[in-house]
Amino acid sequence: METSTVAAPPLAVETIGLTKRYPLTWKRKVLVALDGLNLQVKQGEVFGLLGPNGSGKSTTLKLLLGLIVATEGEARVFGLPPESLEARRRVGFLPENPYFYAFLNGDETLRFYGKLCGVTGDKLDKRIEELIDLVGLQNGRERPLRSYSKGMLQRIGLAQALIHDPDLLFLDEPTAGVDPLGSAQIRDLILKLKKMGKTVVFSSHLLEQVQEVADRVAIFSLGKKVLEGSLESLLTENQSTQVLIPAEMNPEQQERLRKFIGQTGVNESEIRFTRPHLSLEQLYLRTVQAQPDFVSKDSPRP
Amino acid sequence: MISSLHRILIIARNTLTEAVRQKVLNVLLIFGLVLICSSVTVSQLATPDIDAAGLFSEQIKFVKDFGCGAIGLFGFFIALLSTALLIPQELDKRTIYTILAKPVRRAEFLLGKFVGVVLLLALSVALMSLAFAATLYWQESVGLAAVEANYAQMDLKHTPTAQSMHDHDAAQIIKQVRDPQLVEAVLLIFAKIVMTAAIGLLISTFATSWIFTIITTFMIYLIGHGESLARTFWLSHGAETTIWQSGLIGLIALLIPDMNSFTIVDEILAGNRVPWHDVLNLLCYANVYVIVLLAVSVVIFDYREI
Repeated sequence: METSTVAAPPLAVETIGLTKRYPLTWKRKVLVALDGLNLQVKQGEVFGLLGPNGSGKSTTLKLLLGLIVATEGEARVFGLPPESLEARRRVGFLPENPYFYAFLNGDETLRFYGKLCGVTGDKLDKRIEELIDLVGLQNGRERPLRSYSKGMLQRIGLAQALIHDPDLLFLDEPTAGVDPLGSAQIRDLILKLKKMGKTVVFSSHLLEQVQEVADRVAIFSLGKKVLEGSLESLLTENQSTQVLIPAEMNPEQQERLRKFIGQTGVNESEIRFTRPHLSLEQLYLRTVQAQPDFVSKDSPRP
Repeated sequence: MISSLHRILIIARNTLTEAVRQKVLNVLLIFGLVLICSSVTVSQLATPDIDAAGLFSEQIKFVKDFGCGAIGLFGFFIALLSTALLIPQELDKRTIYTILAKPVRRAEFLLGKFVGVVLLLALSVALMSLAFAATLYWQESVGLAAVEANYAQMDLKHTPTAQSMHDHDAAQIIKQVRDPQLVEAVLLIFAKIVMTAAIGLLISTFATSWIFTIITTFMIYLIGHGESLARTFWLSHGAETTIWQSGLIGLIALLIPDMNSFTIVDEILAGNRVPWHDVLNLLCYANVYVIVLLAVSVVIFDYREI
């Protein structure tokens, strides 16, 4: 009998012991920007990178894009070295606070990046139309980028990242400096990309937003990944059981319930009636501040 | 290979567009054009006491010196400014990330940037050369009109001697203005400023600020002019120099291009004949130097943390 084995698709992102150190020659010290990162992102996932400034998020993205070279460890994008052209053909990137070429207008910007990716002719014209519609920049096509607002720059940035229809998107603080409406639009766009089967890896400080779009998150602190998992598992408190009763309970009802549960062997005095809700923000702060050498400032670390 | 070349050309075109839309470079170019065109007036002011026979010859020489000097000077400034800003600006504005995150090799990015600067320099030199040619043509027309007027005032204008003098003066003016060697001069000036741009590019691949790039490139340019003097001294006093002195001079000769050899342009402007093969030799020298500088730039840029 013939058996056929179907090879699992390669991981969108995989890092093994990825480390980046910068020697500070004058101070005779070494700055550890990223320390032994092991990370796996499956295809089609939306993965959030969280952490304070200088925690290693942007370094991770730069290493995954092959923009900088790892001191130790290995990174793979769809099983390929990140610096290879094959990997980059499948990757789109939006840097933090992107500026782009201020002398180009929206249309010219997309045309430039499209051509660099080998998209030309009618295909490029069609793609530009689609992306202008997708990011809602109809009024910015003919305007030079120097006259763009922050939100518009972010949107043209997303459009250029998508110009060659990549399978994986790296977004570094995609909502930084964008107003709530623009921020919501970017969130919707990420959800739309997820529906299209794209993999999205993004960093953000807006925790509520991360909670709304990410399947899994990793929290970084001082160059180390300190927590990773699905939002579902991370946001669940395992030491207690929550019984959701979709009704307001008066004290008498609460007392009767307490006695009833007490009959099952649970200490009645430990039963509390609250509305427990752990937000991602709480989790984030608790995790970061729990680090023994946590310092609450953005200064570079030795 | 073709797609690689395609990407280099896309980046080159973008670099040229950026430079053309930049006010600083445009202002520099306009200054250059105005200066070249104004050389006619300046030449008249600079040669007031020369007698009629030599007047136009001197004025044309002045316009040629002035024109070629302006092309070289403004070409140098444009080369220096455009290359010094090339990489730091990309890093400051983080535009480099968006390009290098695309399927573009670092070498393609760097070469594309350089080709863009060379195109800009070619465009600037072409425009200034056109203005130079127009100015010379204007000078020729004025000179020929003056010779005609001079001839008309002569009492014995129909004598063979007067006719011969008139023809001689007119021929001198035309010969001086329509000198094919001026093409050689412009080509050599262009090669020199492209070399300057290549030096600037090399410095900017490891420099952290554009001011450092400008100062260092300028210093190398100056040393390049004094290099041949040092070499001559070394050759004539070879036995008297220590091993360190000769080593240093040898290193300078190897690393820094000999800019002084381009003073051959002065010979052309002085009206001396410079054979084409000498010019071609210099152009080949510039080419080889630019290729070596680009190769080193690519290697350094490949290792640079961005």
